[in-house]
Amino acid sequence: MSDASLTSEPADTLVPVTVLTGFLGAGKTTLLNHILTAEHGRKYAVVINEFGELGVDNDLVVDADEEVFEMNNGCICCTVRGDLIRILGSLMKRRNKFDGIIIETTGLADPAPVAQTFFADEDVRAKTRLDAVVTVVDALNFLQTLKESPEAHQQIAFADVIILNKTDLVDDAQLKAVEDAIRKINAFAPIHKAQKGNVKLTDVMDVGGFDLQRTLSTMPDFLENTHHHHEEDVNSISLSLKTPLDAGRFQMWIGALLQEKGADILRTKGILNFEGQSDRFAFQAVHMMADGNDIGPWKEGEERESRLVFIGRNLNRPQLRRGFESCAVA
Amino acid sequence: MSIPTELRGLIEKRGASRTVEGHITACAASRDNMRFAFTTAEGDVIVAHRADLAEPASWATYAVHDGAALALAPDTDPGGFLTGGDDGRLCRLDMHGEIEELGKTRRWVEHVASHVDAKTAYIASASGKQVELRDGRGETVLKTLEHPSSVTGIVFDTKGKRIAASHYNGASVWFTQPKSESVRLLEWKGSHTGIAIHPAGEALITSMQDNDLHGWRLSDGHNIRMSGYPTKVKSMSFSRTGKWLATSGADVVVLWPFFGGGPMGKPPVELPGMGGALCTRVAYNPEQEILAAGFADGSVLMIEPESQRVLPVCLNGGSAISALSYSSDGCLLGFGTEDGLIGLVDLSAG
Repeated sequence: MSDASLTSEPADTLVPVTVLTGFLGAGKTTLLNHILTAEHGRKYAVVINEFGELGVDNDLVVDADEEVFEMNNGCICCTVRGDLIRILGSLMKRRNKFDGIIIETTGLADPAPVAQTFFADEDVRAKTRLDAVVTVVDALNFLQTLKESPEAHQQIAFADVIILNKTDLVDDAQLKAVEDAIRKINAFAPIHKAQKGNVKLTDVMDVGGFDLQRTLSTMPDFLENTHHHHEEDVNSISLSLKTPLDAGRFQMWIGALLQEKGADILRTKGILNFEGQSDRFAFQAVHMMADGNDIGPWKEGEERESRLVFIGRNLNRPQLRRGFESCAVA
Repeated sequence: MSIPTELRGLIEKRGASRTVEGHITACAASRDNMRFAFTTAEGDVIVAHRADLAEPASWATYAVHDGAALALAPDTDPGGFLTGGDDGRLCRLDMHGEIEELGKTRRWVEHVASHVDAKTAYIASASGKQVELRDGRGETVLKTLEHPSSVTGIVFDTKGKRIAASHYNGASVWFTQPKSESVRLLEWKGSHTGIAIHPAGEALITSMQDNDLHGWRLSDGHNIRMSGYPTKVKSMSFSRTGKWLATSGADVVVLWPFFGGGPMGKPPVELPGMGGALCTRVAYNPEQEILAAGFADGSVLMIEPESQRVLPVCLNGGSAISALSYSSDGCLLGFGTEDGLIGLVDLSAG
């Protein structure tokens, strides 16, 4: 989809899907098995890639092929995972067999096609919701991987939750260096430290990371924390506005922006205060594909402030801020 | 699970229904038209014998697959069925209710097709990028057809001389003749999600991810585009003569003309449906110019396109029609829904 259509769908009936990314050896499968064997009384369907490092201990495991194709909608970055469309479609015929779905991607995968599948396919959208992209980072090797591979940048940029694994293998200085490197790319995703994938399940499952209910509420106030970045690097920008937004103007602006710059803007997320609306509006986009829905009223006494986050390359902060401010009601 | 309170339509007088566990994934008659089978996402196959059509409690249930039964086709034998499942098995359920495993792979067996004529019989199954073509017994793999990406549909032509498979960026047409190795690749960029072949072999049609149909005129490979759908087309059925292609995917039943130069440059005929409910399944009667259409609200209609006369087969089905099929003599019409309602109607005179 090249337009930023703002639709509302009931979120509670949709099956939550967690996407696990991370480089080879980062500990994805260990984390996956930790999730599956934990005492949570929940059943998961697991979609793994063909050449998994370790066996997966679960009843319902599906092999995927990572078949990526471009949508025929004239938008070059609109790639989706065709195998996932088929697999999720079939799994949804057995909706009563599991409580959630976990998709493990191969180490070198760009998470964009996986995430975009949840926007682009009408059947997938109708029955599932992307709960979070969880990226597993190997504290020991991450800095090297980051130098060598653009996919590592993408995986950090796309993360709603980051598991910083193997922290027992590095000293405090290196841990700090790794955290700083992550923060330069993605300033927003919570980072959970782990050893051998021993994370709290509530940190990775059902976090609602993708639809922001939590992410932005835990977001630090670093708004004017402007590191100097080389503009080719992936980084994050956050904007906020206290004046209510005009929904129509926002839609026009964000639609045109993503249309023009969607190749560079990897992720956009926001919680928006639309004029005349009692509910908070959650907006999200992956490249050019956008979606949004009401997520319930503002809390009593809470300041109604619109917040918008961009993660991408060549982000022009003053320009984005001017554009965002122009959406305020006159 | 919603259990429909009262089904209305032809099914009240000439049919029977029952609710089983699981989403109904497919339905089909056996080759002798004496049995009718329904497959479920629980892996079961429910078989109704024509003699027991009015006694749904006597329809037999067989646990064939561990996981969902994904595909169903009549067996090459008169009274049996072939099924594929996400347990990677290709199975035969014979007329005595015996289950025989014909093949097993690591991947889901998503599509099964069969062909029988006086001289030859074939069984084909698709899993992942491969299509296995077997003899009529199903025990011998005659050849394994490799495709560039996962196969999303397979179809034999009317004479069983060719088998075509849809996949990303086009479709592949193979000769079934064991000695022939050649493949004809029909290319069109994008994700092709299903396939149908014109009964006289004039055209090959695929449904696409992008809510439209693509086709190739088989004589010269000329491309045909048929668009305008609000959703993906998941069901296509040619009329007996090949004059019309009926499709799902809109809140009307869409019929593309395959005559007088069509469908190129010709608008489709739109038959009214259920007043807004999406058409989810279509099936042309193999003997007459009548088609059946199933809708998202659980309704099934029989429609005579010429006169636009409509006969309700089932109203109040509760959930979307997910399977719909005629027997090859056109006398039985079966359907199933996402919530496990299965129905069978006897259309024969008397």
